[in-house]
Amino acid sequence: MNKLFYYVKSFMLWELLKGMALTGRYMFARSITVHFPEEKTPQSFRFRGLHAQRRYANGEERCIGCKLCEAVCPALAIHIETEERDDGTRRTTRYDIDLVKCIFCGFCEEACPVDAIVETRIFEYHGEKRGDLYYTKEMLLAVGDKYEAQIAKDRADDSAYR
Amino acid sequence: MINIEIDGKHLEVENGSTVIEAAHDAGIYIPHFCYHKKLSIAANCRMCLVQVEKAPKPLPACATPVAEGMKVFTASEQAVKAQKGVMEFLLINHPLDCPICDQGGECELQDLAVGYGGSASRYKEEKRVVLPKDIGPLVSAEEMSRCINCTRCVRFGIEIGGQMELGQAFRGEHAEIMSFVSGTVNSELSGNMIDLCPVGALTSKPFRYKARTWELSRRKSVSPHDSLGSNLAVQVKDNRVMRVLPIENEAINECWISDRDRYSYEGLNTSDRLTKPMLKQGGQWQEVEWQVALEYVANGLRQIKSGAGAEQIGALATGGSTLEEMYLLQKLLRGLGSHNVDFRLRQADFSADGKQAGVPWLGTSVAELNKADRFLIVGSFLRKDHPLLAARIRSAVKHGAQANIIHSADDDLLMKISNKSIVAPSAMVASLAEILQALATEKKVAVDNSVQPLLQGVAASATAQAIAKSLASGERGVILLGNFAQQHPQAAQLQLLAQNIAALGNAKFGFLGEAANSVGGYLAQAVPGASGLNAAAMLAQPRKAYLLLNVEAELDTQNSQQAIAAMQAADMVVCMSAYKHQGVEYADVMLPISPFTETSGTFINTEGCVQSFKGTVKPLGETRPAWKVLRVLGNLLKVQGFEFDSSEAVRDEALNGVDVLSKLNNSLQGLTVQTVSTTGGLQRVADVPIYASDAIVRHSAPLQATQDAMAPCALMHSDEMKKLGVKSGDLVKVNVGQGSAKIKVSADDTLPDGVVRVAAGHAATAGLGAMFGSVTVERV
Repeated sequence: MNKLFYYVKSFMLWELLKGMALTGRYMFARSITVHFPEEKTPQSFRFRGLHAQRRYANGEERCIGCKLCEAVCPALAIHIETEERDDGTRRTTRYDIDLVKCIFCGFCEEACPVDAIVETRIFEYHGEKRGDLYYTKEMLLAVGDKYEAQIAKDRADDSAYR
Repeated sequence: MINIEIDGKHLEVENGSTVIEAAHDAGIYIPHFCYHKKLSIAANCRMCLVQVEKAPKPLPACATPVAEGMKVFTASEQAVKAQKGVMEFLLINHPLDCPICDQGGECELQDLAVGYGGSASRYKEEKRVVLPKDIGPLVSAEEMSRCINCTRCVRFGIEIGGQMELGQAFRGEHAEIMSFVSGTVNSELSGNMIDLCPVGALTSKPFRYKARTWELSRRKSVSPHDSLGSNLAVQVKDNRVMRVLPIENEAINECWISDRDRYSYEGLNTSDRLTKPMLKQGGQWQEVEWQVALEYVANGLRQIKSGAGAEQIGALATGGSTLEEMYLLQKLLRGLGSHNVDFRLRQADFSADGKQAGVPWLGTSVAELNKADRFLIVGSFLRKDHPLLAARIRSAVKHGAQANIIHSADDDLLMKISNKSIVAPSAMVASLAEILQALATEKKVAVDNSVQPLLQGVAASATAQAIAKSLASGERGVILLGNFAQQHPQAAQLQLLAQNIAALGNAKFGFLGEAANSVGGYLAQAVPGASGLNAAAMLAQPRKAYLLLNVEAELDTQNSQQAIAAMQAADMVVCMSAYKHQGVEYADVMLPISPFTETSGTFINTEGCVQSFKGTVKPLGETRPAWKVLRVLGNLLKVQGFEFDSSEAVRDEALNGVDVLSKLNNSLQGLTVQTVSTTGGLQRVADVPIYASDAIVRHSAPLQATQDAMAPCALMHSDEMKKLGVKSGDLVKVNVGQGSAKIKVSADDTLPDGVVRVAAGHAATAGLGAMFGSVTVERV
């Protein structure tokens, strides 16, 4: 009996019709394609994109050169050199993140005691040469300066869940 | 021995030891801050509180002596509660900003706070603030708010360093560590306070904020700066030496190192490092390839050998060169047919050569110095020349030993000196003879015939008798000849007298080795032997070619003016050096060789301990290890037996499998004694300041910023200054031999009459003649 039912189903192309029905349903459903870059998907305030170095409101860089981010980085993407500044504080003379190595795990951000290194919502950056993705301290600070308002808002939103 | 129980473990411990010692010996850790095994007990941090059965309250383990049947619980509820309470109190005033602190990652407080601290602070009130202090160029006291008042630094100063340069002032909440008396910490051992400080209050100034402890790799090395051979941990990041710490070795440096060993690394990467071989052509220095430079040297040596004879070639090495370097240098010279090789650059009297039964050494082990009960220290700037040996002798004196000194300067040795005889250099032999005379009378025995000529007409003074009495009353006496005695123009006579005093007084007798490889130099045969010229003769009878290994001729020799003249007269001077130094004026070739951090090698310390080490970083630029340079030079000159492929192979050939200790012997036989008539007038007393002892130290900026590295003055007794009509601070012209120098004069009433103390080894006095002998001082 089962065998007979199987033959009937095969000759009537039942599976094909079932598949085509699904396709047909999507022909009339609302499209979910995002037309990037004209359209963008919503992002969480915890989005981990391009890194930035932040400053305090008075313009002082936040980073104190404690090197915890360098120590915690699982991809060894961060390289820091520090020295004593004239005012007796430790400051970085070099703070590089190799974005080619970075796996965007966000550990650096978690380790930072002063919220200096953060990951922003930016993901649409590119480099034409390999070296373009080697971000130095100046580049990171520039990112921070440009997006400070958004960065600060994201930290504030996230703080409720910590 | 008594029986106790710690955490249920039955232990048999020494009577009189403390609970913390017993626990640590048994491998049970008790948290602590103020306790340190080398320092006295303060019991002021209270971190080591433990529960003791039948005791109503927790007791501090560091200050509680063990008692029969004692039951101790280090991790019971009561003990842990007490320890956590103490930690909370300690953290009340301690800043909680570990990421900023330079000690972060190697901080005892940070480590223990993980186990005993709360996750959040309950303290909401204001924290105590202690103002930062400037205590000198080596130790940073910028963060004194971090201090937990354990007083380890204070106790170190008093007990090991010998002087209380840091102290705790005020009481209670206002208590703070500060320097007083001088304002800065000038001890030659001050860096150890940084290691002792359990928090980030005292940190290394040159290293401050340069790197974090977890970034550094730790490599073993041996100090090249003094004859103790302190064990070092060289910490390296990115192929650069970042700092140097001690490695504990109870037999040698205990857990300390001197500031010279600790901070000399700052001289390793200075801009005046020589990084490419250089040739002088037509009066102009040119950087060349190694091949070119070495072939130039080989050709030059070949020409001089065939033209003027091999004996016109001389080689000088510093005592801080490794065994391998010195061995290959002498092998090269001997292969060329010359025996003119020496490393005893500051020695003036070579009459003991050939009469010495073996290699001169300390005469006892370093650790035995702590147990000696009588010392006679002849001619030594002990604290500055041998900072850690001085600390050992200081510790012996503290435990009841008597120290007697004979010297030409009365520097404060920071220990109780029982008797001292401060005489002009020319009177040192007589002064020692007096002691021998007095000791012979005391013991009622006759002195050996060989020294009889020195005793003629000698009448023992009261001081000499007191020293003789002191030596005679001891059981474990040690007689030590310091650097000054070894550089003395009658060094062999001093040695002979000391040997006889030691024989009469049943004491040990030895030399405080002048440099890291003073023993190694002899074992490497870097001495001329019967047919060669020694260091002094090589400079007095100028040679046509000189090979200089690590030597800066004007700073590292007995007679700087003669050395410069000899170098300038030579046809070819080859400087193998890590630095571009004054040598550029007289050298023809500068070959960049590696300092101790960049080469493998061996130092044999003054007690005969053979310590080999490996390079810790790659050679800078085109610098090469000197043993490789000498090996290639040997190959180019076709000298036999230069097929070495490692420094270990060189060492094994140099030591030839013999037991080093069997070669050490201070005995001097068959010396013909000639009494020297002294001329009147002023005599020079020359010390080599602690931070002028070798090239690396001289290039270390933090060390050069210390008080010990101040430009040398002409120090004189104020009576002598009155005769001259000068006062302290005046500029005077000092003439020694044919050289002169204009330096400031300063009064030092501890100096004997008729002497002027002018340091050697410094650029300001580099043109002067011999380190001993007559000197004239003129007003300018």
